[in-house]
Amino acid sequence: MNRTIFKRRWFRISVIAVLALAAVLAPLELVPYANYQLTMIAVMGVAILGVNIITGYTGQISLGQSAFLGLGAYVTAYGVTEGWPVPLVFLLAAVIPGAVGLLIALPAVRLKGASIAMVTISLPIIADPLAKRLTDITGGSAGITVQWMSAPEWTGLADDQWRYYIVGAIALVFFVLAWNLTRGRIGRAFAIVRDNEAVATSMGISSYKYKVLAFTIASAYGGVAGFLYLAAVQYMSPATLSFIVGINLLAAMIIGGSASIIGSLFGGVFYVFIPVVAGQIDPSHTPIVYGAALLLILFLAPGGVVTLPRVLRRLMGRRTGRQQQPGGGDDQATESSAGKVTS
Amino acid sequence: MDSIFLQLVVDGLANGAIYAALALAIVLVHRATGMINFAQGAMAVMSTFLAWSMWQVGLPAPVAILVTIVISMVMGAAVERLVIRRFEQGSEHTAVIVTVGLLVLFTGLAGLFWGYTAVEFPSLFPLGTLNIAGAFVSYQSLGNIAVLLLVVLGLQLLFKKTKLGLALRAVADNPESSSLSGIPVGNLLMVGWGLAAALGALAGALIAPKVFLDPHMLDQVLVYALAAAILGGLNSPLGAVVAAMLIGVVENLAGHYITIIGDDLKIAVPLIAMFIILLVRPQGLFGQKEVVRV
Amino acid sequence: MPVLELDNVTAAYGKAEVLHGIGLKVEPGGAVGILGANGAGKTTTLRAVSGMVKTGGQVTFNGRKITGLRPDQVAGLGISHVPQGRGTLARLSVRDNLLVGAYRRKDSRGVAVDLEHYFELFPQLAARRNNLAAALSGGEQQLLAIGRAFMSKPELMLLDEPSLGLAPSTAQGVYEAIAELRRHSGLSMVVVEQNAALAFSIVEEAIVLETGHVALAGTRDELMGMDAIREAYLGG
Repeated sequence: MNRTIFKRRWFRISVIAVLALAAVLAPLELVPYANYQLTMIAVMGVAILGVNIITGYTGQISLGQSAFLGLGAYVTAYGVTEGWPVPLVFLLAAVIPGAVGLLIALPAVRLKGASIAMVTISLPIIADPLAKRLTDITGGSAGITVQWMSAPEWTGLADDQWRYYIVGAIALVFFVLAWNLTRGRIGRAFAIVRDNEAVATSMGISSYKYKVLAFTIASAYGGVAGFLYLAAVQYMSPATLSFIVGINLLAAMIIGGSASIIGSLFGGVFYVFIPVVAGQIDPSHTPIVYGAALLLILFLAPGGVVTLPRVLRRLMGRRTGRQQQPGGGDDQATESSAGKVTS
Repeated sequence: MDSIFLQLVVDGLANGAIYAALALAIVLVHRATGMINFAQGAMAVMSTFLAWSMWQVGLPAPVAILVTIVISMVMGAAVERLVIRRFEQGSEHTAVIVTVGLLVLFTGLAGLFWGYTAVEFPSLFPLGTLNIAGAFVSYQSLGNIAVLLLVVLGLQLLFKKTKLGLALRAVADNPESSSLSGIPVGNLLMVGWGLAAALGALAGALIAPKVFLDPHMLDQVLVYALAAAILGGLNSPLGAVVAAMLIGVVENLAGHYITIIGDDLKIAVPLIAMFIILLVRPQGLFGQKEVVRV
Repeated sequence: MPVLELDNVTAAYGKAEVLHGIGLKVEPGGAVGILGANGAGKTTTLRAVSGMVKTGGQVTFNGRKITGLRPDQVAGLGISHVPQGRGTLARLSVRDNLLVGAYRRKDSRGVAVDLEHYFELFPQLAARRNNLAAALSGGEQQLLAIGRAFMSKPELMLLDEPSLGLAPSTAQGVYEAIAELRRHSGLSMVVVEQNAALAFSIVEEAIVLETGHVALAGTRDELMGMDAIREAYLGG
């Protein structure tokens, strides 16, 4: 028993080391378009991580993350165009969507289940005409192009490589922050609020407070993703904050892994590569792959692709007659499911 | 009276009738299963394309639509049996995500089979307009409103006067307890979804002539319909229709008379209204508050 | 042949088995009580008969094995279950609640007759036949639930703690109503009850459950003669 755990940990550490090395070296070898795609995985991973914090970890469905991503991107575009210092722009790109999210959450999280889904789906639907209206800032339907975040001379890097490192580093920081958040006191509170609000109340945990907090953090993550998006793409238009994007972000989160940090990264991979894979046949096939993948995951491994190995192992175990506990996400620490009370 | 005002009201009612048709389908599903079906619009779009294909191969439009309604009923029942059944006992959270998955899937399927180019859909009603007290109403809008009223009447009769309706209401109220009276709950849930899909197909056929048919035709209408269903209390067909009409009229007036809103942002009006009403009256404008004396 | 027979019945919620081999027999026209403390498995025993819980062992109704049937199928055979907490359809009218009870019946004339008969027996409900069931008092809801079960013209009625949450005098009234209905129809009954004195006003025999086992079984007189029963369930 001990040996297998030791073996596994050793194995894991070396895998992570190899992956980290590959992540650092890859852009030096890959073509610009591949670097762009890897950068986009990081961008969308951060947006999806935000959805995960509010929906996966705290159990409040958000279909409106694209609105916060859009807001972050437009704030960034405005700041950069005005010539503000980039760190300030970054700060505003996180804080303004976070503040808007807070204002919406204060009343919205009082709603339950499908109602909060309805309210969040409204956000991109209102944001879209609003963005088209405010042409001075957004460039209207045509969108806005911003040329920035070019590689400094001294690095000797190409723009795509430089952007990859910058976006990757920021994304890494936000993944680590989320990791710490969800594994700490707040993360446990999120899980209790998600699993059973009555239990939360009996433990003196204010569901309301933690839902507002989760929504605010999720919105800020959306804003940061918007900043990163503009860094990677250099262009922003209302299409990026549409309600389809909001839905796809939720779908990618569930497919990657609900209540899982690494699952959000898988979600990003899915988000970026599915259109590519589907596009080899016909780009219009993307929604089918999305819908089918989402339903398949819900049927087979509701915890997302991160739980697939565990689900498979369980199926194998059942075949050989071994009983195993059904697994949740990969984050067992936050998976304190308050059991159903049967009277 | 100001003739622009009257025209805005009349147009608003015509739009409201369209939102109402889909809202009724959403209410039906909610009554039967307690779920909100975010895929209701996408399913309706599939149905409408089906009718369009039949029309294309030469079937008269009314026949094509009627056949489609029947097929949609079967398909709706199948969706309940094959997909939704698995998630009915689970959390509301998962249920919403499942219907969102269906929304994406059905939109994709419609795109796969029929493409993303908008096509023209035949109207059931003659062209031309009627002048009522200075406002122009198209025969199509009048027809839509008439069909809608018939549907509401039919639903009221179904729910209030038939055994099937009684069983549907019983299952919506308390499935477990209903099964103890011998009601096959599973079958009735299928019926509920089937009826909703049929209604959705009808809604699609009424809307398509106004806006052209493409896989995303009902994305916006779905949001209006959801807002109407919620405002109407989710359980009341009549409430949903009244709310939908109200939405149609109010957004038109707000869009015209409040310059800052304008035509492009008028969709924000019902959504913000819905938000506020959800907060102060979670049971909707016309819904019954759940009072249970013990 | 007994109307209902449970043979070595087990039942489990998920992995937790809560019944560990229950035996029970109801003769035609008979009424059997199931007594026991909270959590002894009384409700689960009824749920096992109705197919509302994963069940092992064998349940037979008129000699036919019914284990594994769905609740609506069990109901269709002529077993009517009045669940704990009454199962009132709160947003339906009093009259509709009763008509739901008659869902399986094809004789609409007979249904109308039984409906009127029921309203004659319970005039306080007749006066409120068009009100929502949610607006009724607890005792009235219990009478309604029993009426709804009665409307299906069952051969066997399962009653789960009809006295639950009612004032003693109201509970007394409910039991008198049950006795009245039984006299009229001659149906068989299984009555789950914590209050043994109330149960013994109807049943001739009873079993006493303890943590999922049958601890005692016997006729009313046998059981009432036992000190343990008197102390535990009859208040000394």
